[in-house]
Amino acid sequence: MTRVLYQLYYFVRAAFAGLRGSPLTTGVSIATIAVATIPLGGLWVVTGNMRALLDRFGEELQLTAFLDSKVRSDQGRSLAAQASAIPGIDRVEFVSQEQALERFRTRLGGSALLDAIETNPLPASLSIALAEEARAPERVAAVSEALHQLPGVEDVAGGETWIEGYGRALRLVRSAGMGLGLVLSFATLLIVANTIRLAVYARRDELEILSLVGASRTHLRVPFLIEGVVQGAIGGAIGVALLFGIFHVAVPQLRDALELFLGWSDPSFLSPRNVGILVVGGAAFGLAGAAIAALRTRVA
Amino acid sequence: MSAPPVARPAAESAKEAPSPAMRSGPAPRPGGDPLIRLFHVSKSYAAGQFSLRDVSVEIKKGELVFLTGPSGAGKTTLMKLLFAAERPSEGQILVLGRNVARVGERGIPQLRRRVGVVFQDFKLIASRTVEENVAVTLEVIGVPPREARAKVFAMLRRVGLQHRRHHRPAALSGGEQQRVALARALVNEPAILLADEPTGNLDAALTVEIMDLIAAAASRGTTVLVASHDAALVRRYARRVLKLDGGRLVEDLPGGAPA
Repeated sequence: MTRVLYQLYYFVRAAFAGLRGSPLTTGVSIATIAVATIPLGGLWVVTGNMRALLDRFGEELQLTAFLDSKVRSDQGRSLAAQASAIPGIDRVEFVSQEQALERFRTRLGGSALLDAIETNPLPASLSIALAEEARAPERVAAVSEALHQLPGVEDVAGGETWIEGYGRALRLVRSAGMGLGLVLSFATLLIVANTIRLAVYARRDELEILSLVGASRTHLRVPFLIEGVVQGAIGGAIGVALLFGIFHVAVPQLRDALELFLGWSDPSFLSPRNVGILVVGGAAFGLAGAAIAALRTRVA
Repeated sequence: MSAPPVARPAAESAKEAPSPAMRSGPAPRPGGDPLIRLFHVSKSYAAGQFSLRDVSVEIKKGELVFLTGPSGAGKTTLMKLLFAAERPSEGQILVLGRNVARVGERGIPQLRRRVGVVFQDFKLIASRTVEENVAVTLEVIGVPPREARAKVFAMLRRVGLQHRRHHRPAALSGGEQQRVALARALVNEPAILLADEPTGNLDAALTVEIMDLIAAAASRGTTVLVASHDAALVRRYARRVLKLDGGRLVEDLPGGAPA
């Protein structure tokens, strides 16, 4: 057991000696992973903020089910009770024709304009607040459909159309991100694997000597894997740091446009957890690249 | 499995004076079971072209044996077979009881940890210090760093290089570099030491220096096989000589016989 621990110590020592001994290949690997982290992390920032915006709209989302003019107040209350049983609906308020007119009047600030109207043109309605889990675009559509099925409901209105479009855009960005991520990941892996292979070739004399004195394949390969992990983690961290810089330079430039189009100008950066995931992801890429390099190179 | 008959011509009288290393103390009598056995071993790199052809030989514990012959005789090939750098095309090789012809990938490191090897071109790691070069033999088997440092220091003192331990190989003379290589091969107290033309790059004075250290290892009980085409060197040490020519073992002269 202690021999294994000492071997681990030698592996780590050999890995750091290797990193110091080949600064060029080390630098190229770190830079490659850092450069790949920026667009991947950037896409994550964009989709994360789009998701947050969608959630915010969802919180404010209310549906209104307009009722047939023949529906009486007691029937309307009964409909409200039925509606509240629909999954995804948090609470339902029945708004009678009179209440609707009163609210309209209040909103107009007591204007005399409505005095000229002899009959109440406003329909009775159900004002519906959605439960949190039903704020996704597809759930909003399902709730809307269920409301349409209720007798006496003429029409259902709300921001769902806009949310659906936005949801589609979010899915599109996510899909594009995944596609781009896959291409970038593959390219990064190839570059890192080949760079580490260069490091293996550069040290082949040393590896041959170690093999001659009885080093096992594990002993020859593990230091390269450790080097890959270290390079990947450093590359990931540098990439996130650069992305953070880009984010803080870009957001003030975009603030007006965000405010204008989305009514929102305060996007957030990645959470500490997601930063951690990117750094660990970088380390995983370094490890995978090193593993490919070590397996494809006959080091013994 | 019985060993095949091995040609052992009668000893001729030894007239050469023993080397200083041999005079320095009584060498343990070689004996017991052979540590190295070759049974009808052939090695061919291309069809019909043999580097070694039907070689059978036994080497006992504590023996110092010279492997001689002209360039291309098969000395290096035989050495490579013994530390599993090559596989025989035919025949069986037993080293320390292991069948090298059949040892798997995992078994090779285990074998090499008990067989020290010294090369003509030293094969030192340029980026590491003398101390670190010697320590690699101990690192690969997970010897604790403190224990490894003590063993390396003792070994470097034995080869007279303790004062050079923090230098890199490039700062050392050829003789010093070969002493480092020898220290690396011996620091783990291997059962067998293989030296392939260990003095091929050295002048006469340094040759004696290195060979004395190798002979001293044999006197401590290590089985030593030295490949050399230096007839004067072989005569000087007057030990058992295996002579290869065209891949065949043509002579097996016991200790004390002139080569």
